[in-house]
Amino acid sequence: MDFDSYDLDRSIYDEMLLPDGTHREHCREVYEALRDLSPEELAVIQERVTRTFSTEGITFTVYGDDEADERIIPVDCVPRVVSSSDWEHLETGLAQRLQAINLFLADVYGEARILEDGVIPVDLVRGCPQYRLEMRGISPPHGTWVAVCGTDIVRTNDGFFVLEDNLRVPSGVSYMIANRKAVKTSLRRLYRSARVRGVEHYGSMLRATLAELAPEGCSDPRIALLTPGVYNSAFYEHMFLARELGADLVEGRDLLVDGGFVYARTTTGLRRIDVIYRRVDDDFLDPLVFRPDSLLGVPGLMEAYRLGNVTLANAPGTGVADDKSVYAYVPEMVRYYLGEEPVLQNVETYLGRRPEELEYTLDNLERLVVKRVGESGGYGMLVGPHASPEERSEYAEQVLADPAGFISQPVLDLSRSPCLIDGRLEPRHVDLRPFVLHGQKTRIVPGAFCRVALRRGSLVVNSSQGGGGKDLWVVD
Amino acid sequence: MLARSAQGLYWMSRYLERAEHLARLLRLQTETLVDRPLPEIHVGWTRIYDLIGRRPPTGELVALESDDFALADAYTLADDLTFERSNPSSVRSCFALGRENARQMRQCISAEMWTSLNVSYLRLQQREIHDVWGGSPEGFFAETAAAVDTFQGIAAATMYRDEGWHFMQLGHLVERAQILASLLLSQIAADRSVEEASEEGWTSLLRLYHAFEAYTDRYSVEVDPEQVADLLATNQLLPASLVQSLDGVSAEIAAIGPGPHPLSSEETQGEADDLASLLHESWPVRDDTEALLREVNDRCRALHDLVTACYFNYPVAHALPR
Repeated sequence: MDFDSYDLDRSIYDEMLLPDGTHREHCREVYEALRDLSPEELAVIQERVTRTFSTEGITFTVYGDDEADERIIPVDCVPRVVSSSDWEHLETGLAQRLQAINLFLADVYGEARILEDGVIPVDLVRGCPQYRLEMRGISPPHGTWVAVCGTDIVRTNDGFFVLEDNLRVPSGVSYMIANRKAVKTSLRRLYRSARVRGVEHYGSMLRATLAELAPEGCSDPRIALLTPGVYNSAFYEHMFLARELGADLVEGRDLLVDGGFVYARTTTGLRRIDVIYRRVDDDFLDPLVFRPDSLLGVPGLMEAYRLGNVTLANAPGTGVADDKSVYAYVPEMVRYYLGEEPVLQNVETYLGRRPEELEYTLDNLERLVVKRVGESGGYGMLVGPHASPEERSEYAEQVLADPAGFISQPVLDLSRSPCLIDGRLEPRHVDLRPFVLHGQKTRIVPGAFCRVALRRGSLVVNSSQGGGGKDLWVVD
Repeated sequence: MLARSAQGLYWMSRYLERAEHLARLLRLQTETLVDRPLPEIHVGWTRIYDLIGRRPPTGELVALESDDFALADAYTLADDLTFERSNPSSVRSCFALGRENARQMRQCISAEMWTSLNVSYLRLQQREIHDVWGGSPEGFFAETAAAVDTFQGIAAATMYRDEGWHFMQLGHLVERAQILASLLLSQIAADRSVEEASEEGWTSLLRLYHAFEAYTDRYSVEVDPEQVADLLATNQLLPASLVQSLDGVSAEIAAIGPGPHPLSSEETQGEADDLASLLHESWPVRDDTEALLREVNDRCRALHDLVTACYFNYPVAHALPR
């Protein structure tokens, strides 16, 4: 493949090439291997990678107007390479951030010191729809509210930034492993010589993490993964992780609560469950406590949880810390609880709830990305520079109607990474979602679900919005 | 194992067994279309529609007198039985339901089983009647049946022999017994409607069950309905004979062991044992073959309900820890 026609933009960070068009040192092996491959050879590799996904049925579900569609996430065969020094920096920053977030959650559902001290506005936290009154006074095992976190990180010329902390039911980790499996078997020799650090032990790390969080006195905990069911877009992942964990893959209807304990319905009777890795949103966990119309949940589950007879990971109510407005305060949390400077920076964020920032947002729509605080998955957002004047003014009206419901951020020049597009290498914007586990200690596998905006010029990497995946290699 | 997973594996097996039988019947039928007389073709279609309990899209099946009409009909009927999505018993629907159950229970089967089933499913999804019919329909149906055989072979080679395995076997055997009993009944009924029993119908049953050689070996090249029924019902060496299936059902339930409720477990095992003994004890001394086959069918259905109540949908009150 030739890099001569590669559309390198010197103003945007390229993951493989330096501004002068030569390769970054840690990318040497991959760069040379790509250069030595003919377009036909690379096309064959790409085809093999894609086929792995359809053969193995690694799919996600997209909901259209009337029917659900089982789709394959498009995976680009060219890996994104991250140096081990960059990775160490990320690891340190991620662990620090999660530690602060867990302390914050314990605090806001406990003494609420941070609110009393005026570091974060009380109404921002207590008025957040994700703040769960039901969690007041509860202390999860080892103070771990968030056991599994999938943080979205982007890189620009100024370094790494945290875009979003996903603290509820983050997904995508199965793609990290599936992408690795497909790509490494298709680039066998390169994979070996590039000395890529493995990610396939994620399942056993997750198991160890969940086991650490078992209720007191439970030495060999029975773990179940609670899924909303086969119609959930991440069902493949739930199945995959249940298998990796050696856990039962349960739906709400498989569980019941009796005498304050949770049981699964098996062919030989009821079996007690100690730890539930739940992939069901708070709202649907227990119809007696949260949404009464939920069919996905387990009546009485929260009671068993309050009694300490079962662990829920993540704990309910963690969403208050990844609310898009509360996000703006995470660096403050790091300083407040840990007395340290944050290793990883936030993206500059303007809150609609602050009048002067609202004004700035409305005056600069064409330069900003505006997001609804309650939405995720790339839904309900405005990418200012890509929107028409009509779209912008329409959106401005929505913002004005509910300023606190919006935040804005500058449009970032997300870094780009070479991708195989129509037989040529072309740069596409990427982000990464590493997964951080915390039981009694923090564990991070050296890898991430790397998302890529496959449409030319697009900055939206969400798989529901035309994004794809890439394998991410941390090399020594 | 989780009750819902066990149930999913049980149904997966039933659907795949159904898809396989249907594909094999359709293969025989497409061969019949090549050179057999029209009444025989008519009997073939009737047998399939009776088996799945469906009315053909053409309304009633009538014995046609013109080759042209019969062949035009054949295209419509084969499409309805093979690809029609609104027909829950079409080969495609049964295969898709089997695969959907597998997809939901993927963590309970081996990765090789899933991949094999998924690949066959994807291939089947791409086919339509016009390309199948214009090429080699026999080849297509043979391939489809072979996909299920392959899946079962892979299961036998790779699957851990846990409860899930036994529930799969149970589904497969119950379905198989019911289909064979139904096909025998349908053939007897077809004979009654004509003056002379049709040798071809019975021959095709032998071929369907890979039993033609066994038959000629044991009896003669003359095909006698009574002897064919005897062979298919009671031959211990024939993998799909009724007696093999029903003995298997009873053994699988024994291997699974009791469910949460002792009475219900006893009843389920008892019914399975009784069902098997129908073949061992009642078949040799029967005076009414049809009545006995109907009894087998009814009791298979009853057993299915018992299994469901014993292992899957039991009342929770019976299972709470004391």
